[in-house]
Amino acid sequence: MIRVRVLDRKLRRDLRTAIGRLLAITGIMGLGVACYVEMASVYENLVRAKDRFYTQCRMADFSVELKKVPNSVLLELANFPEILEVRPRIQFSATVDLPGVEKLLNAQVLSLPDRQSPVINDIVLVSGSYFTDRRENEVIVHDTFARRRGLKPGDWIHVILNNRRQELFIVGTAMSSEFVYLVGPGSLAPDPENFGVLYLKQRFAEEVFDFDGARNQVVGTMIPSAREHPQPVLDRIEAFLAPYGVFSTTPRKHQPSNRYLSEELEGIATFSGILPTIFLAVAALVLNILMVRWTDQQRTIVGTLKALGYTNAQVFAHYMKFGMSVGLLAGVAGCIGGYLLAGWLTGVYGQFYEFPDLRNEVYLDKFGLGLLISLTCSSLGALHGARSVLKLQPAEAMRPKPPRQGGAILLERIPWLWSQFSFATRLALRNIFRNRFRTLAGIFATAMGTCILVTGFMMREAIHYLVDFQFDKVQRSDVDLYLKDEQSYDALLEAARLPGVDYAEPLLEVSCTFYHGPYQYRGTISGIMPGARLTIPRDDQARAIRIPTSGLVMSRKMAELLHVKTNDTVVVRPTEGLRQPQEVRVVSIADGYLGLGVYADWHYLNRLIGEADAINAIQLQIDPRPEVKLALNRELKELPALQSVHYRADIVHNLRTTVIETQSIFIGVLVFFAGVIFFCSVLNNSLVSLAERQGEVATFRVLGYTPWEVGRLFLKESLVVTAVGTVLGMPMGYWLGVWLTILYDTELFRIPVVTTPPVWISTIICSMVFTLAAHALVQWNIHRMDWLDALKVRE
Amino acid sequence: MNEVDDRVLLRLENVGRTFQMGEVAVHALKSVSLDIYRGEFLVMVGPSGSGKTTLLNIIGGMDQPTSGRALYAGQDLAKLSPRALTRYRRERIGFVFQFYNLVPNLTALENVMVASELSRNPLDEREALAMVGLAHREDHFPSQLSGGEQQRVAIARALAKNPDLLLCDEPTGALDFATGKLVLSLLVRLKEELGKTVVVITHNSAIGDVADRVVRLRSGEIIEVHRNEQPASPEEITW
Repeated sequence: MIRVRVLDRKLRRDLRTAIGRLLAITGIMGLGVACYVEMASVYENLVRAKDRFYTQCRMADFSVELKKVPNSVLLELANFPEILEVRPRIQFSATVDLPGVEKLLNAQVLSLPDRQSPVINDIVLVSGSYFTDRRENEVIVHDTFARRRGLKPGDWIHVILNNRRQELFIVGTAMSSEFVYLVGPGSLAPDPENFGVLYLKQRFAEEVFDFDGARNQVVGTMIPSAREHPQPVLDRIEAFLAPYGVFSTTPRKHQPSNRYLSEELEGIATFSGILPTIFLAVAALVLNILMVRWTDQQRTIVGTLKALGYTNAQVFAHYMKFGMSVGLLAGVAGCIGGYLLAGWLTGVYGQFYEFPDLRNEVYLDKFGLGLLISLTCSSLGALHGARSVLKLQPAEAMRPKPPRQGGAILLERIPWLWSQFSFATRLALRNIFRNRFRTLAGIFATAMGTCILVTGFMMREAIHYLVDFQFDKVQRSDVDLYLKDEQSYDALLEAARLPGVDYAEPLLEVSCTFYHGPYQYRGTISGIMPGARLTIPRDDQARAIRIPTSGLVMSRKMAELLHVKTNDTVVVRPTEGLRQPQEVRVVSIADGYLGLGVYADWHYLNRLIGEADAINAIQLQIDPRPEVKLALNRELKELPALQSVHYRADIVHNLRTTVIETQSIFIGVLVFFAGVIFFCSVLNNSLVSLAERQGEVATFRVLGYTPWEVGRLFLKESLVVTAVGTVLGMPMGYWLGVWLTILYDTELFRIPVVTTPPVWISTIICSMVFTLAAHALVQWNIHRMDWLDALKVRE
Repeated sequence: MNEVDDRVLLRLENVGRTFQMGEVAVHALKSVSLDIYRGEFLVMVGPSGSGKTTLLNIIGGMDQPTSGRALYAGQDLAKLSPRALTRYRRERIGFVFQFYNLVPNLTALENVMVASELSRNPLDEREALAMVGLAHREDHFPSQLSGGEQQRVAIARALAKNPDLLLCDEPTGALDFATGKLVLSLLVRLKEELGKTVVVITHNSAIGDVADRVVRLRSGEIIEVHRNEQPASPEEITW
């Protein structure tokens, strides 16, 4: 085919002429590509950072939590053919007392070899050094915790280890692949200010915990084939170590940090599909409208070119190029924008997921795919318009286009209704009905925008609801004290006498395995007092559930995992105490959004594990006055038997400042995305309509209409389309929201479906604001239109 | 082939064209027969609806007859495929339209190039513009040119392909008297100096005075073919 350079020149100038409308479409399409490139790059950034970190630290494939097992026995595990290597270690919870910090902080203590050597679940030093030979009581502190608390190598800290207050010397700060996402117990989000990890020398740990030659955890690596299906190996390990007491076995898949990270990665992968699809579909539709109008407007040029002897293929290619230019521009802009957005989002993830080198990289394959997607999408959008030039005969193209078919629209057949409308409304309705495809495309675009808005606002409300539900209705204590060992009821009375304590309740938490037919799952039963006020299980209507004197109240998620219904019987085998399997009835199902709570009557649970009045946690309601709290905290620091202390206010505050703030940014971005869809589609439709009806506008102006009155005619059309789109988009957004809650329905947390009035009100306000903003630009075009010139236009 | 046939560039034999408009069949052309000779200036005159544009479209390969034959160099245009018709238009025909049909966002020179780039044997674009007296306006866009100038660009465009047959649909229809005469002189010059065959359709019978032959059409039929033994010069005529 002859390359027609001059047509390319025409193309460039055509593009310049239609720049406003093209940019609107490029905006939507570019965002779609940017979204895809962003999400796909962030996904890749995280996966690569994770892989590098896991390799660097030799991340374990499994861990086994034990009571106390001789080191030599544990080393025998390496003889299993599927096991490559094992590292027995000591792990305990501890509390940290920092000078100048009013309350106790929680920490996990882990042992490391005295001399540095590459080990499984190794650390990466960030500052300072590894242990030296100078002192026994050296400690390496989790880097983020150290930074947040202003700790650095050379500082001393006080830690309560095995009921004894120890002074430890910080030699270094470090991070490790097992704590990429470091969540303290009972929370959703990392709280590095209040929870950290401390690494002690192996020898020193043995000494302070009375673990001479023994360990209570083993981490190990497996051969690749066993790594895929670790359960049979873990079962054999459990059987092998059973005589010594196995609390639990955890494959890497269930390792908390790895699990949070994997679930987040899955979420990103899903999102990287949904959002771009919405954008690209809307963009293709809007481009379609523009192209049909554009080729229509150029029908005499098409005719002339054909009369001159241009082939159908040449003319078709010329108009395809016009449409595909949008794809090219959107693709390039989207790739650059996506890369920059990925940098920002990677940074946001970096605040929650700690990697030594999380960086934003350039992925040419993602760019290539982004570009390909936008070119494909623009070709699809351009095809309809460009194809119309094929059908056009040159002789026919020379003749003016026959006037559009008139005739009454459906609504006119209902005379009493039709007569209610003003002249302007009738005109708007006729235009809406006559340009059916354009109207439908506009409705589709606004419905998609609404869908994104509703989903975003539902997520916002859901997190607020979740926090309120969990920390206001279910967990109502101000302070939870977890005790190092099970103690008698007297510990409660002692706690109740602490300063500022208004009310105290006992709690007995028992780790156990639940069996139901072929299903089994590990969890914890919380034994609460009859009529407990500080832990109140609730149903999905947030009504309190009475704890039965016998049997269990099981969280819906746990019941789902075990395929259990109300009144079914499950077998419970505690991992501590008598460890006798017992059949227990599930009396009712509770709703909750964090973890897999199972509740039982405190007395009943005591009987179940063969105890009389054991407690291992105490919940307190305290006097909120600061001076009283100060006194309480001072006393708590002197209690040696505490394993950890949880302050509800801290957890809620942490959730609000981390999860909710970050979520607000994401919702802000979603609202912006929806805004782009609304704005660009309304703008494009109105501008196409305006270009088409120049003669009509000119006639109105001759008749004496003001530009505002003319603008109002266009506004009415836009508002009707927006209103219909918004109404249709609302249920779509609701279902997308429901689908997302199903997607994010994990054992760690669930998102409630919340559809309070603010969801709908915010959506309606946003959709109207975006439409009016687009109309402002249309109005400006009407104002500056040379209508006298338009009167002369031949169509 | 006899001697007469050699002079014929295009022969129409009983050409008819019917348009189906809903349930009504409109006979735009009813059995038209006509020979167009090489190097002649032919004017077809007729009122609106006489079928002259339809006839021009058939001659130009933009439309095909529903009956009869349109023979160009022995080839029946009615039987050509769309692709062959495009080739015919590309290689043989130059069009001049009443409303010029210039591409608005290309300059005068570029509008000429739109045609010359298609041709195997084009005239130089600048030469073509010089021939219509617009060498100095080559960088102007259509909106910066007067109607007469735009029509001259359109003629230069038609010419640039170096076609055998120049078809002009009401070339003076949108122009004032003086400019119209200027354009007409230009067309006559093309015939005289370059030996082009020029077919002009118009409803303005005065234009017929400059032609070698005048064909009168009414209601889709030829009612008269008149040969001007002494064609007038465009300067002499008036309307």
